Amino acid sequence: MRKSTVIFLFLAVAIFISGCAEEESVKLVKLSPPDMLEQIKIGKIDAFIAWEPFPSKAAKSGQKILMSSGDIWKNHPCCVVAYKVGKADEKMLEALVWAHVKATRFINDEKNWDKVVSYASQFTGLDEETVKMALRNIKYVEYPDEKEFRHYYEFLKEAAILKKSVKELGYESEDEFFEKFLRRDIYERVVTKLEENPNYVPEKAGKIRLGYITADLHHLALYVALKEGYLDRVFEDVDLKQYPNGVAIMEAFKLGELDAAYLGGAPATLKRINDEIEISIIAGVNNEGSALVVKKEINSPKDLAGKTVAIPGFGTVQDFLMRKVLKEGGLKVS
Amino acid sequence: MKQKIYSALLFVFLWYLLYFLNVLPAFHVVVVTFLMLVVKAEPVLGKTLLQHAASSLLRVLAGAIVAFSISIPLGILMWFSRIYNLLHPAIEVLRPIPPLAWIPLSYILFASFPNPTVFAQIFIVAVGAFFPSFVTISDYVRGVPQEFIELAKVFGAKSFDLLTKIVLPYSLPGIITGVRVGLGVGWMSIIAAEMIATSGSGLGYFILVMYEVGGRMPEIIAGMAMIGLIGYSMNTLLFKLEERFPWRLKSGT
Repeated sequence: MRKSTVIFLFLAVAIFISGCAEEESVKLVKLSPPDMLEQIKIGKIDAFIAWEPFPSKAAKSGQKILMSSGDIWKNHPCCVVAYKVGKADEKMLEALVWAHVKATRFINDEKNWDKVVSYASQFTGLDEETVKMALRNIKYVEYPDEKEFRHYYEFLKEAAILKKSVKELGYESEDEFFEKFLRRDIYERVVTKLEENPNYVPEKAGKIRLGYITADLHHLALYVALKEGYLDRVFEDVDLKQYPNGVAIMEAFKLGELDAAYLGGAPATLKRINDEIEISIIAGVNNEGSALVVKKEINSPKDLAGKTVAIPGFGTVQDFLMRKVLKEGGLKVS
Repeated sequence: MKQKIYSALLFVFLWYLLYFLNVLPAFHVVVVTFLMLVVKAEPVLGKTLLQHAASSLLRVLAGAIVAFSISIPLGILMWFSRIYNLLHPAIEVLRPIPPLAWIPLSYILFASFPNPTVFAQIFIVAVGAFFPSFVTISDYVRGVPQEFIELAKVFGAKSFDLLTKIVLPYSLPGIITGVRVGLGVGWMSIIAAEMIATSGSGLGYFILVMYEVGGRMPEIIAGMAMIGLIGYSMNTLLFKLEERFPWRLKSGT
């Protein structure tokens, strides 16, 4: 009797003490972006960080945007196109990069603005005025800047979120790891061929299983490639699958459900290293394009102390950006 | 005592066997991770294991208090045959539904509440804790020896006297057993409920997030160990309390 009472009392006291020792910290909760606006309106969360079009949708309904992701980290790479090593062959990758580059150039061409807006509105199910606002915050790119991209790795390593070193994965150095992880050769081949012959179309590949994130305007190039027929021209069959966030896409890669996918650079790096899911990045999708939406009384990152902030998932780009904001504001996660 | 040491040694031996087969991380790594997490906040969620344990325990206690405040009085009333006949069939139909099957319904029920996740979780714990405690208590109550009742009646005891002076004291150890069993099931339910809904804290949530972020098998096992440790100490504590009642029902009677 006495021994177990002592153990129980000890546990109870320890739990009580640790419960009281709350410092200036911010509570991060996982929430699906389509639910975030509703939750901030009813006051269950004090702020949220999400990909476009959700911040623009929130701004339109009277919420306040504290920072856009460009303010947090200028020109940060966001989503990328990645493939599962061993699942997709070179022919398939060239076809995919071609369709992606064509679609990205379509989006960035001023002449197509009206069409892009209407595609964006169909893709996200929002009105044109909101998507116009959202589109201005996203920079659609063809390949991420490697130096900037490595920042994800450095930060995740520093924050002790990465559990393994690249050496444990069998690489000599970080440079060697990134050489394999960021495969630029396919993209360069496609671009060179397109320069030589603007009407170049790669050889037709078979079936591709392609993943993307639900209602993420960053992935507009995928929708454009589908609607403009680029994917149909280079694939016999396209099997599209939706996921709630990039971490879920990495899980799908692990289970062999996908050949390639559009996803955030942070979950790609994180799960590539932590869970040794062998993927490589073959193209960029966008820079910037997320924002931190807050309640009216919050005027600076410091005001977030003691508040609840929603993120789309742990290990996502938005989680990463949020941690950057908190670190600069001298706040802790709890 | 000696046997306990052997049992522990066997456990550690089997663990290392699995470690060498590349199934589990090494035992000492998990022990160190566990101790670190108890004192130091984990970087992803920014909370110590004890803080997660505290949130899970609070939810279990809230749910269990709700469950026991219904199951104890109702269980004692089962002494009256009329109430027993009325309630028994309904309880027997509801009892086999696992607590987790109540989750979707509870979300609909509590959707309009200020904090639906917390209410739903407390409700699930309450459902999990209610049935085993209720059944245990009513078994004890129904098991009061007929001789006692007859004897008391000879001395002119009324129904109310029988209930308060014979049935209640006789079933006291049963109530404690019921609380023990109910808390055990409630504890299992809260861990599962935390894994389904986003709760922001709790041991079930901790384990799930550790899985999502990846590469954290020692942390996951440390969280599991904490669940086991708390479940064990709750059970042992109440079991010791039970043993203080010499007239508790021995197995087989």
